[in-house]
Amino acid sequence: MYNLVIKDLKLGVNPMFFVFPFLIGALMLVPGWIYFIVPLYFCWITIPNMFSGYRTQNDLIFTTMMPVTRKDMVKARLFVIVLLELMHIVIAMIYGMITLRIYPNVNYYFFAPHMGFWGLCFVMLAIFNVIFIPMFYKTAYKHGPAAWGAITATMVFAGIAQWLGIQNDFVSDVFNGSGADNNVLQASILIVGIVIFIAFNVVAYKMALKRFRQVEIK
Amino acid sequence: MLALDVRHLNKSYQNFGLENVSFQLEKGYIMGFIGANGAGKTTTIKSILNMIRPDSGEVHIFGKNIAEHEIELKQDIGYAFGDIDFYTRSKMKTLTDVIKKFYTHWDDETYYNYLRRFKLDENKKIIDLSTGMRVKYNLALALSHGAKLLILDEPTSGLDPVARDDLLDIFQELVMDGEISIFFSTHITSDLEKCADFITFIENGKIIQSAEKEEFMESYRLLNGSETQLSQVREKLIAYKVNSFGFTGLIHARDFDSSSDIKATTPSLEEIMIYFAKREDMYV
Repeated sequence: MYNLVIKDLKLGVNPMFFVFPFLIGALMLVPGWIYFIVPLYFCWITIPNMFSGYRTQNDLIFTTMMPVTRKDMVKARLFVIVLLELMHIVIAMIYGMITLRIYPNVNYYFFAPHMGFWGLCFVMLAIFNVIFIPMFYKTAYKHGPAAWGAITATMVFAGIAQWLGIQNDFVSDVFNGSGADNNVLQASILIVGIVIFIAFNVVAYKMALKRFRQVEIK
Repeated sequence: MLALDVRHLNKSYQNFGLENVSFQLEKGYIMGFIGANGAGKTTTIKSILNMIRPDSGEVHIFGKNIAEHEIELKQDIGYAFGDIDFYTRSKMKTLTDVIKKFYTHWDDETYYNYLRRFKLDENKKIIDLSTGMRVKYNLALALSHGAKLLILDEPTSGLDPVARDDLLDIFQELVMDGEISIFFSTHITSDLEKCADFITFIENGKIIQSAEKEEFMESYRLLNGSETQLSQVREKLIAYKVNSFGFTGLIHARDFDSSSDIKATTPSLEEIMIYFAKREDMYV
């Protein structure tokens, strides 16, 4: 699997996508913005471009011809996606910490970039992966419908979460009000988010592999 | 020992299918796989490489079933697909550095020897290589990881006559010491007349014949005669064409009475292919 990851990093993924988290992450410096949009850029731009790159370069046939198992092919691809997602979130978190310090008195209408918010971002990417990866591996070729499905679900989640954050007093209080200073509460939400992210990725991997085993490579 | 043993492959699609495809390639020989476009060559090759799943049948490579020993066997298989390119914007060097990690028997010395021999500059991008150079690059990769069976899908199509001839010489050299076997599909039959030891002919998903080249060609006769003579043999002909001088037609040698006064010659592979294709048309 290690060789396949290296193959993706050296050949498959444009180096620009590793710079992207630093550029997109800087949007966290916009005070009081809808920060959900920052990780969403990964779903909107990186994934469709990456996968159309694989398709243009005939990556599927290229990889299948080599002595690798289908299991490792799925595992390596998921690993690369998760690696990029973690880069996006962790770098955005760092920018978020800077934002909280340089604008201490901003009145947040949308979610403020506290730890709990990042927990929600992990859930959002978990939803993206659990839809995109199994849908894509149904053909290992058509990434368009998979991306549409996954992006829609992700945005619906972000929309509802943000709407609740504004309309619902409890949610608003947990993320932006008194709960924001409760480190235990914030860390717990983050941890739950990470656990959901891991669980959904395991499910995505299992479903994808099951489907990919049936795929005929043409 | 058999390098490649394809047994009773069946695979059906909506409009097309492989039917009971079987043939064997002895180690150390070149087998040409001929058939018109759409006859099932690539489908057979993809079944051999376990890329598509046959409905029934088995493929054994060096005595082992590919479905069970895929990873192990792929270490010993080299491939080149004439019409598919990978990562064309990357340099050969970058691509090789990635590919070699997958093969346990990779040998850098062999690789550089072949690069020199094929006059390939590893700092060039794949897109800058000519079609012939790309096939040679794939061969260099295959030989450097010690591939014993080369499976090549249309490696010579798109090459100019000089490059084709050059490549065919290389094929013959490779099998010389009996370790490497080559199975290659083509619709350019003159390539096979030059270098193949065995011919397998596929038409509409069925193997018409798989035999030693001379035996294959000798098993047919191309007849030339007048229209009156046509009526004597019409029922036995595989297919025929009528023109103002009479007819030309293909017949199985066993069906032809050599004492007859119809002029008979040994057909070329191309003629065999054409008449079989014509037979399909006649019955459609």
